[in-house]
Amino acid sequence: MNPEPVHTDIAVVGAGPAGLSAAVAAAVAGASVTVIDAYSQPGGQYFRQPNPAVDPDPQEPRPRAGRELRHKAEAAGVRFLNRTVVWGAFEDLRLAAYREDTAQAIELQADAIILAPGTYERVAAFPGWTLPGVITTGAAQTLLKEQRLLPGQRIILAGTGPLQLVTAAALVKAGAQVVAVLEGASPGEAILRQPGQTLAAVWGQSTRLKEGWQSWRTLKKAGVPYHRGWGIIAAEGKDSLQAVRIARLDRQWRPIPGTERRLEADTLCLNYGFTPATELAQLFGVQLHWRPAQGGFVPRRDEQMQTNVPGLFIVGDGAGVGGAELAMVEGQIAGLAAARQVLGDSTLTRRIEALQPALRREQRFQQFYARLFTPGPGLDELAAGDTPICRCEGVSKATIVQTIHAGADTMHAVKAVTRCGMGNCQGRVCGPLVAAILAQETGQSPERVGQFRARTPIFPVPLTAFTVLTTEGAESAESRN
Amino acid sequence: MREINSQQAPVVIIGGGIVGSAAAYYLARRGVKAVLLEKNTIGVEASGRNGGGVRAQCRVRIERRLAMASIKLWEGLEAETGMDMEYTQGGNIRLAATEARMAQLQAEAEEELADGLYVELWNRDELRRRAPYLDSDHFIGAKYCPTDGVANPILATWGIAAAARKAGATLLTHTEAVSIETQAGQVTGVTARTPDGILHLETPRVIHAAGVHTPQLAQTSGVQIPIKPARVFVAVTQPVRPFFTEFVSTHDFGVYFRPARKGHVHIGSVGIFDETFDKSTPDYALPRLATAARLVPALRGVSFLRTWAGILAMTPDHLPVIGPVDGLEGLILATGFSGHGFCLGPIVGKLLSEMILDGAPSINLDALNLSRFASTVQSPTSPSSNRL
Repeated sequence: MNPEPVHTDIAVVGAGPAGLSAAVAAAVAGASVTVIDAYSQPGGQYFRQPNPAVDPDPQEPRPRAGRELRHKAEAAGVRFLNRTVVWGAFEDLRLAAYREDTAQAIELQADAIILAPGTYERVAAFPGWTLPGVITTGAAQTLLKEQRLLPGQRIILAGTGPLQLVTAAALVKAGAQVVAVLEGASPGEAILRQPGQTLAAVWGQSTRLKEGWQSWRTLKKAGVPYHRGWGIIAAEGKDSLQAVRIARLDRQWRPIPGTERRLEADTLCLNYGFTPATELAQLFGVQLHWRPAQGGFVPRRDEQMQTNVPGLFIVGDGAGVGGAELAMVEGQIAGLAAARQVLGDSTLTRRIEALQPALRREQRFQQFYARLFTPGPGLDELAAGDTPICRCEGVSKATIVQTIHAGADTMHAVKAVTRCGMGNCQGRVCGPLVAAILAQETGQSPERVGQFRARTPIFPVPLTAFTVLTTEGAESAESRN
Repeated sequence: MREINSQQAPVVIIGGGIVGSAAAYYLARRGVKAVLLEKNTIGVEASGRNGGGVRAQCRVRIERRLAMASIKLWEGLEAETGMDMEYTQGGNIRLAATEARMAQLQAEAEEELADGLYVELWNRDELRRRAPYLDSDHFIGAKYCPTDGVANPILATWGIAAAARKAGATLLTHTEAVSIETQAGQVTGVTARTPDGILHLETPRVIHAAGVHTPQLAQTSGVQIPIKPARVFVAVTQPVRPFFTEFVSTHDFGVYFRPARKGHVHIGSVGIFDETFDKSTPDYALPRLATAARLVPALRGVSFLRTWAGILAMTPDHLPVIGPVDGLEGLILATGFSGHGFCLGPIVGKLLSEMILDGAPSINLDALNLSRFASTVQSPTSPSSNRL
């Protein structure tokens, strides 16, 4: 049942903009490249392809651009392992994966690995946030992009960042009634305060500005209200969402008393930014550092996107949230740098250097963007005592607070004692929420609080998937037969 | 670092695992308010990372006596402390795949019955009947002890520590003991590093229960303890509909498994001992843990949720070191449990309190004294019969 460990010059984990760009760059430079991705088609969330049964020939620019990149990769000889989840990372640049459709265990050994794992959406915990009908904006986008489905009839989007705007416009175009879009930040104020930085940052960003402008126009035309400086404070409903309570927010994102309103809706889409997926980096022993403007803990990298683990590169939002354009530049740099290392081809250096101006431009935009759309501390104060924080294990905020005050004042101890983060999601949803509570209750900085430590396997994997790994002794030889 | 505090304590306990916490608890119940120093938080090392077995069978005689007495304490511990420890007596099955193993279990059963521990020997048919969830083609028989069971290691350690605090003990977490001071063969104090500075505690008595970290600190008082680290592994599955209650282990396959309250199954390694402090899960541990799926068909479609490693404190004879230290008045050791300490935690804590309050423990522990390592004669214990 088990194939031998597959060797490849370069393994790329994740087939979004960063991973695809890295794969193309490395393969064109002459390396053998294998891309492993959890979805059925390459593209990631940004280039997400519609289900072929629903739309075999999509004409929207993003799926088209994604397919073009994929065709380039295929033409350069890149091998794709789709529907394959990487669940383990081991010494000597080895990856353990599981192919879901064929129930096949795969071990991959590479001379260089480029991780492009992307991010998880950040949610907020407030009374009612676990009601059916409350979803993430990314989930709404997936339904729409892949299945051409609307998540509901009367939709409210809340959180921060341009994803809200773009998704709201797409929902309107698909025929949904969008009741309102609530942007917690007040980006206009920041722009007016720092016009020079704004101009420097948006220089060369015409595609982005155009996309934003078009979304804005779509919402205006449909009469969808876009409230800046407003946020959700509670969701209501018996068995599913019926209404949300909203309020105007101050600079710290705390609700301003007396501004509360109630809006009826059956669907609430939330997105408060993104958290980089660092589990594989953690398993490899990559040093992380705290960069809140990039989504939290992110890997330390050199200019070629290489980490402290020789041969291990990390690119895209999973290395620090910066958007698709930055991800693609980082991917190209890492692809070339990994190929240079593996093939010993120093002529690639010039091409890596040529990408530096584009990298700087995108980094500037990322820094500007982060300043506009970073939630304030008030967001972490919305949960009531009985509000669930860990929905997998049903752990309330009050239980967590109590446990912290009883002495379990580390992320590990909170998890151990309350079971918070022990469920199927492995703490991906509740991790940032628990960290915020711990920081608040102990007065420690988020940097000191840290995060849940990644554990093998980083996604649930059937016991049978473990038998592929190389072992010693008769016992293991037996289990490999 | 500045000295922030200087205090007196009747007893200082080093280590907030199950043994140190239980010692603090039983001392406090009898009016002695010890100060416990824990460098991290309560129960995050071996006490909180083990399989949770609470078992008297398959031990050498001295440990059997301790375990039987400890189980008596376990039976009343949740009611007494008011803390949920997920303790159940679901039974313990030790499997035999070979005739030699079966003979070993038979010999053990005779000793156990003589010591008043009820156990049953099962042949293959009986095993099929009593544990139908096992693929019994792999085994020729088993030994079963109905009064053995499991507890949640984290909640139990946490619960005992909380009860100790409630009874008057002082638990200082994030406080790392850095030296034990002595004068003329007598313990005089302990110095610790806290987040706010250096803490000095004057005390005539120290219970040193810092697990695998015991030797380094003991050296500050001139005591050599032969303990080495050993990494073991545990995995937990996604929850399944409960289909067994027993803690099941097999040394022939190097694995144990047991149910947890919400339907998760914990699977642990037996007999892999890496001499390391590294708590990551290496690749070779995983096939061993997955062996459980070969032995239990119902686990074949089940997924692992996560794995973790724990670091055991191993002595040369795989028996704990408990008791005073010759030539150093006031230091009591309780360490080196070699992977069998979780079940013993409550009774050892109680016996430590008796050493301090009554002058001697109610169960003779001479055989476990550190002095046994000074002689060249080592205990004849077979390590493999004593695992878990």
